[in-house]
Amino acid sequence: MSGLAASAAATSKGRFDKIDDLIDSRLMARLDRLDVVSRKIFTGKIQGERRSRRRGQSVEFADFRNYSPGDDLRFVDWNIYARLDRLFLKLFLEEEDLSMVIALDMSQSMDGGDPNKFDYCRRLAMALGYIGLVNNNRVSLFGFGGGRIERLTGLRGRRRTREMGRWLLDRKTDGDAGFADGMRAIALGGQGRGVLLVLSDFLFPDGYEKGLTYVAGRGFDVYALQLLAPQEIDPARHGVTGDLRLIDSETAEEVEVTASTSVVAKYKESLERYVGSLREFSVRRNISHQVVETSLDLDTLLLDYLRKRGLLA
Amino acid sequence: MSAAGLLAVTWLAPLAASVLALATLPPLVALYFLRLRRTKRVISSTLFWTRATQDLRANAPFQRLRFSLLLLLQLLALLLLIFAIAQPQLDLGGTNAQRVVILIDASGSMSATDCSQSTTRLTEAKRLASERVRSLSSGGLFSSAAPSIMVVAFAKDAQVVCPFTDNAAQAIDAIASIEATDETTQIADAFELARAFTTVTDPDNAQAVIAAPPEYELFSDGRIADLDKVVLRTGERVVFHTVGAATTQNVGIAGLAAARTPERPDEVQIFARVVNWASTPYAGDLEVRVDGTLRAVTPKPVEVPALHEDSTTKVRIAGETQVVFPSIALPQGGVVDVRLTTKDALVADDCASVVAAPPHALSIAIVGKGAFVLRSLLEGMTLAALDVFSLEEWDRRLASDAQTPDAYDVIVLDDAMPAQLARGRYLVFRAPPLAAGIVAYGEKQNASVRSLRDEHPLLQYVNLDGLFVASMTAVAPGGDADVIVEASEGPLVVTVNRGPLTLVYVSFDPMESNWPLQRGFVNFCSNAIAWLAAGGQAVTDEPLAPGDIITARLPSDARTPVLRLPDEREIALVVPAQSNLSYGPLRRSGVYRLQWEQGSADRAATTLSYAVNMKTRTEGRCDAASEISFATERVTGVQGGGSAASAAWPWLLLAAFVLLILEWWVWLRRV
Repeated sequence: MSGLAASAAATSKGRFDKIDDLIDSRLMARLDRLDVVSRKIFTGKIQGERRSRRRGQSVEFADFRNYSPGDDLRFVDWNIYARLDRLFLKLFLEEEDLSMVIALDMSQSMDGGDPNKFDYCRRLAMALGYIGLVNNNRVSLFGFGGGRIERLTGLRGRRRTREMGRWLLDRKTDGDAGFADGMRAIALGGQGRGVLLVLSDFLFPDGYEKGLTYVAGRGFDVYALQLLAPQEIDPARHGVTGDLRLIDSETAEEVEVTASTSVVAKYKESLERYVGSLREFSVRRNISHQVVETSLDLDTLLLDYLRKRGLLA
Repeated sequence: MSAAGLLAVTWLAPLAASVLALATLPPLVALYFLRLRRTKRVISSTLFWTRATQDLRANAPFQRLRFSLLLLLQLLALLLLIFAIAQPQLDLGGTNAQRVVILIDASGSMSATDCSQSTTRLTEAKRLASERVRSLSSGGLFSSAAPSIMVVAFAKDAQVVCPFTDNAAQAIDAIASIEATDETTQIADAFELARAFTTVTDPDNAQAVIAAPPEYELFSDGRIADLDKVVLRTGERVVFHTVGAATTQNVGIAGLAAARTPERPDEVQIFARVVNWASTPYAGDLEVRVDGTLRAVTPKPVEVPALHEDSTTKVRIAGETQVVFPSIALPQGGVVDVRLTTKDALVADDCASVVAAPPHALSIAIVGKGAFVLRSLLEGMTLAALDVFSLEEWDRRLASDAQTPDAYDVIVLDDAMPAQLARGRYLVFRAPPLAAGIVAYGEKQNASVRSLRDEHPLLQYVNLDGLFVASMTAVAPGGDADVIVEASEGPLVVTVNRGPLTLVYVSFDPMESNWPLQRGFVNFCSNAIAWLAAGGQAVTDEPLAPGDIITARLPSDARTPVLRLPDEREIALVVPAQSNLSYGPLRRSGVYRLQWEQGSADRAATTLSYAVNMKTRTEGRCDAASEISFATERVTGVQGGGSAASAAWPWLLLAAFVLLILEWWVWLRRV
């Protein structure tokens, strides 16, 4: 089943209730070939499958250095000692594990759109987390929204896939985002430096600047994936017309709108201005910002869209 | 027409319009307060919609009213509809009436010169009426067609000057031809006359009027005596154009008499009564002229009280003063003029005239039983002759000479009726003169006076309050008879004037009443003989009033009679055979002189003078009324000539329709 088909099936049922709704085996097989690419070099806590610039315990020789007391004798090159009677220590390119943090926006604003933004968010988180687990990275999941921060940390290895899926299935949207608090918790959470994937619509009444500033200054390689429903990107093409009373799902604020051509044009102009300002804010802080329309097929997103943009390799 | 007149609006149905306004305007505005019924839709964020749209609404059920062109247009259209329902009548010079009757007051008070450039009120009224005819004929903005116009001039009586016509020039020429009079003002005849021309009834049902009533345009100073006798019919509308100033004051001579005393028949004593219609007391001199020659002046100014209001009836009463001049030697007779030395707006009543005939003793015949009381009374008068005849003797004389009655100034028929009663002047007691149209139908007992015309010369100084008649002849007077005194059982005193035959009929024998015991009986007989002997043969001529008719008994050989009017114009008259000469009605006050040729004498030697004096008591009040009150309706006067109203509701509806189309167009452009 393709990602889009899975999404349609899930939507038809209303909610996901099993892990296969989040990710199917065919997609998992295709994701096995992918790995998350970090634009930064991080020091992992344990040896991983990631080739690091740091000299370490990998099979790939890097250099020699003189032995110093205390060095691990297992890395002494005994062949050189035999010829030169001097102790040299072999240095290898160390393979580090990558800390991969996925932050999910669980605010009420995510529970909208067709396809549903939160469902799409969970499926995307599942896929990205699976890539991290398959590559033996340390995967952590954070959900923020409704004044709470929920987390699932320390996942490593393919066998934790089901646990991660179960956790994602249990997440519900509620209340406002609390984006700044969520980012602050991640920044201070001691997850180690790594890749931070923020999955959100970034429609925060209080703004995104404070939250992104928390994580931008902590050494994360931050990817901001802005999930927007097709109805939000082009309302007129998706039935948002006529005399409407629009109710904000988070704040319950009501706005009366006569969705005429001119008003919709102004709406799109305002949305573009907002997305543009978010992108500009992100670029200034070395954050990769991507807009993802939830109607986009997940396979295409992962295997084409994100690969071209350097997140996956 | 003034700007105010142009904007004058009368609302025929203001209550209906008010109800409609209350019922529609608030809901219309409320619709703009109420919010549109919108489809609810939950979205992720209203952030961008809030920024994008201007249709933000608060959560309250009502919103702040903002300017809306649609609301403005709808309100305007609705207001126009409401105004149309109120049926505004715009005074723009037009009229909805199909027929208009122009009523022009030509009475004596309309000769007051208180209008612009010292013109008379009648001149001003004619000018305004002509303007009005022009405006009606040209049609107002809202008039569909010019109405037919009739012109009626009225004073003591009414006259159609121009029948209904669509020709404005003809109507204006007719208005210009209206001449001033010094008559009293009687408008009831004018309405009756106009209604005779305008009332069109169904031939099958005389009560069903099938033509709309006309509109009356009245040009007058509003001092009209018989307004309370006019009842406006359904649909009749009167527009009263006030002519003259409301502050004009006037003093006039209301009464004048010249009497010779039996003791000094060569002298004449003059009595005058001065009336003051001004709000301030009057003090001024009076002068007496005889045939134009000044003969006397009041030794000190005559003081006349001001106009005042009766505390009981609230009626405004003119101040009056009676003036008695010392006797003036007048052996040959002449025309006596009494004139105020001060001038005011109304000149016609500043002078009064009376003709004092030369001393002449009357010849009187008594026919019948010749009651002692009656004969004694007549014997007490200075007479040239007093002959007593039995009925048979009188009939024999008549049979031998038909001109016998001409030998006597007055013939008293004391319960006797001659075989012939063709000519002569008679004072008749008891026996009904059938020849004069008085028919007896029985006897009545125990009669007392019920009503009388105390202004009649016969009743001067005659008090009939205590009169009791034991037996009287019940008579039915003819159409030309004039009832002077009436009892509940029928007429008591009747006058008949049929050319050569003039009589005063008393329907009871004085001896069958208590009248001979009263002083009024003597005065009545004296008045009756003086009144019957009118025509230059009596001691004093009673002054005529404008509107009266001159009747003269000329000698049989009189030729080419000419009447010289007060303005010195001469009118040639024709003497009818077997009848008195008559002319009238006399329109203006002043002295009229009737002259004729007789034998070898020229006209100057044979002259009869008639004094005509304005009735100041009714016409002397010159403050123009601002409103007039008919019997059932009060009409406020308007200044100027244009006043007819035109309906504006069709144009208001049209404007509302245009606005609605505009509103629809604006709405389409917005949607």
